[in-house]
Amino acid sequence: MLVPRRVKHRKQHHPGRSGAATGGTRIAFGEFGIQALEPAYVTNRQIESARIAMTRHIRRGGKVWINIYPDRPITKKPAETRMGSGKGSPEWWIANVKPGRVMFELAGVPEPIAREAMRRAMHKLPMKCRFVRREVGEA
Amino acid sequence: MAEVRINAEPRSEFGKGAARRVRRSHKVPAVLYGHGTPPRHVSLPGHELMLALKTANVLLLLEGLEGGDELALPKAVQRDAVSGLLEHVDLLLVRRGEKVTIEIPVQVTGALAADAFLDQQLVTLSVEAEATHIPQQVEVSIEGLEVGRSVHAKDVPLPSGSVLQTDPEAIVLHIAPAVTAAAIEEELAAAEAELGVTTPEGGAAEGGQATEGGTAEGGQAAEGGEPAAANEPASTEA
Repeated sequence: MLVPRRVKHRKQHHPGRSGAATGGTRIAFGEFGIQALEPAYVTNRQIESARIAMTRHIRRGGKVWINIYPDRPITKKPAETRMGSGKGSPEWWIANVKPGRVMFELAGVPEPIAREAMRRAMHKLPMKCRFVRREVGEA
Repeated sequence: MAEVRINAEPRSEFGKGAARRVRRSHKVPAVLYGHGTPPRHVSLPGHELMLALKTANVLLLLEGLEGGDELALPKAVQRDAVSGLLEHVDLLLVRRGEKVTIEIPVQVTGALAADAFLDQQLVTLSVEAEATHIPQQVEVSIEGLEVGRSVHAKDVPLPSGSVLQTDPEAIVLHIAPAVTAAAIEEELAAAEAELGVTTPEGGAAEGGQATEGGTAEGGQAAEGGEPAAANEPASTEA
């Protein structure tokens, strides 16, 4: 599972949710991809779960790229705790994904298999997504 | 490659307000430059431009400009990340007979050897070609290539009149051995164990898949109350 090895600060402010992705909006490595259509915090468990779902379906012959990294800690106060007394403890590692971001890429499999693999992976993700493919004439 | 005729209208007002007005009228703001001439701002019809840009390195013949028609190549295309609509286009002036350096797509043909995986490192090649004779694509055949073989940029047959600009030693594609089913299964089992996913004993992959989602979600929800030791960042705070 993806977890940062070391961090400068254990607790951070909540990442901003507004705006669209400014980079990583095109397919860079593979032939097919999953593009986010909504903003969301994607946890490292969700990323791993989506990767497993995709790899299980394609079995052999394909290659999967993960283009997002869960490098933002999210904290949570324990249940039934009074407000104050400092910030809660780090609970999750998340990737702050903005609309337009291509999160996963896939290559080496026919399109119908890639579509089904990515459909299964999309069910593991917390936002609306779509299947995208590399366009030959894309300038 | 045939030229695509596009009617260009000169633009006189600039800035985001003016650009948005242009886009609302189903046109695309564009800038035309090259050959040391001052940049010219134009607006192009959105639908025609979108259709033209479906072809890689399309040669556009811009009509309606002051000083006559001009040939141009798209140099940079900005699109909306979600809708894919064209937002702005940079056009580079070219002349007939002039040599230009462009990226052309690599098309892989032929059947892959058994138990092999195609690792394509380059999806485009940089070549120098005459502006009016730009090749659509280059074809690389993987027919009969054994595992461990690579195709370098210098090995790719280029159309006549084109000169390779990419590093000749750059690897275009590599035939790697396919990962065995046992290795994948082992890796997935380890990943699922780390996630806390339990698969039914002796269950098929599909059965495991069905169970995987529910258990994974459940595991996460159950874990919500207390911090997971593995997820806790190392205490490296200064």
